[in-house]
Amino acid sequence: MFKVNDLTFKYPKNKENTIKGISFEIKEGEIFGLLGPSGVGKSTTQKILTKLLKDYTGEVTYKEKRLKEYNKEFYQEIGVGFEMPVHFSKLTAEENLSFFKKLYKSQADTDELLKRVGLYEDKDKKVNEFSKGMKTRLNFVRALINNPKILFLDEPTNGLDPKNARIIKNIIKEFKQDGGTVLLTSHLMNDVDELCDRVAFMANGKIAEIDTPKNLKLKHGQRRVEIEYDDKEVVKDSFDLDNLGGNDEFINIVKTKKIITIHSKETTLDDIFIKVTGVVKHD
Amino acid sequence: MTNFKPLLIGEIQRMKKYNILGASLVVSLLWIGVMYFTKIDDVTSLFPLLVYFEAISMSMLMIGVTMFFEKQEGVIKTLLVSPISKTEYIMAKTFSNIVSNLITFFLLYGYARIFKEVDINILWFTLSIILIAFFHSLIGFILTYYSKDFTNLLIGMMKYIFVLMIPVSLQDLGFIKSEVFNKVLYILPTKASMILLEGSSGGGVEKWKIYFSIAYLVLASILIYIVVSKKFDEFAIKESGV
Repeated sequence: MFKVNDLTFKYPKNKENTIKGISFEIKEGEIFGLLGPSGVGKSTTQKILTKLLKDYTGEVTYKEKRLKEYNKEFYQEIGVGFEMPVHFSKLTAEENLSFFKKLYKSQADTDELLKRVGLYEDKDKKVNEFSKGMKTRLNFVRALINNPKILFLDEPTNGLDPKNARIIKNIIKEFKQDGGTVLLTSHLMNDVDELCDRVAFMANGKIAEIDTPKNLKLKHGQRRVEIEYDDKEVVKDSFDLDNLGGNDEFINIVKTKKIITIHSKETTLDDIFIKVTGVVKHD
Repeated sequence: MTNFKPLLIGEIQRMKKYNILGASLVVSLLWIGVMYFTKIDDVTSLFPLLVYFEAISMSMLMIGVTMFFEKQEGVIKTLLVSPISKTEYIMAKTFSNIVSNLITFFLLYGYARIFKEVDINILWFTLSIILIAFFHSLIGFILTYYSKDFTNLLIGMMKYIFVLMIPVSLQDLGFIKSEVFNKVLYILPTKASMILLEGSSGGGVEKWKIYFSIAYLVLASILIYIVVSKKFDEFAIKESGV
């Protein structure tokens, strides 16, 4: 759907390029995660893909056509969910959605969406009476009001309780099942792991890794199992995961000792984030 | 598909909800107060001066107010990724401003007609206000682009008022009589605005001055619009969070 080739971008006041020749593709119908610490170029990349920044070099195509050739009609096809509130605070949720809806040819059933995210009862309240979580959910609904083909989501579950986060994640999954494409930016690696088909880790304006979460975990993980057992005192040991069943020492421990803990050493996206980007994640 | 209409309706709705229209009505009550406390029965000569201050200052201020609300609430970000062109955005704000200016004008005119004497050409006055409010709304955009915050915007406005508006009004009130100074004032858009308003109130303004003022404001509006439109891209990048 989107093809990015050798993309480079520099802000006029900066000395150094913010984006340094990145190439990647977002395939139709996939959820693509763009990850990395603050300031590595994620937002800039997203702004280029949403046509907010134009003075880039390299090529960006959307549906095989250069992005620069699209006019405002491009926005009929996309939905952008921001992390921070983006609504008129003195208008009600309903008034906000009604205003934005009129700008689009295709209009979603906002009552239905408000019901799904649990805001229907509050639709006549002014947005300045909403909690942070309610504003996040309203942002999400705003992103969907035009039945978009592609969704750009920035921290869509930030500030939500587990129940509401689950609702949002389910809607994202349904959107994908219906053929929609998603570009997701999040610091919550559990969400990324659950939702994304492929992820790209960005570091210092470049893409450091790009693959499926599973492949990344295989690549960066250790095929070992760690075991803690009671042998008059607590003993820790580690064994190769390959041919574990044929490892007599391991089998003997399992059979004869009291096992305290046993863990395979597969890695998490959190660990990969730190390893690949070289930065400790701040949630 | 043009989105000018929903944007314009949205602007007017928000001007109401954010009490901007209310504040504008309070200002028009001040002008009504000026007419009330003036002992002159025929306010025909005072009327253009009141509308001059109202149309110019409120046009600039209201663009700034609405844009600062949008910046403050982050709405500008979502507008920038909506299917609207910058022309539609700029024009919707400008025309909602014109609507507000016309409401104020008709209120002032209504008061003057009922309680005082006033003799103006309403059609010409209306057209003059549209042109003046259009031009000064665009000036409001420029001031907003270069203002870091609302206080900064007010400072910019005060500079405009002191440098461009006050000299024209002082000359109009007869406090400045220098011929040279009078001629220099023709380079100012505020002078063209004053000529149009006075011309609409049968102030004995020569026809060439009216034609000159119309041409001046139309051309200046086109030029300023080009600048506003060009600078909008920079503004958009800045407001998108960069």
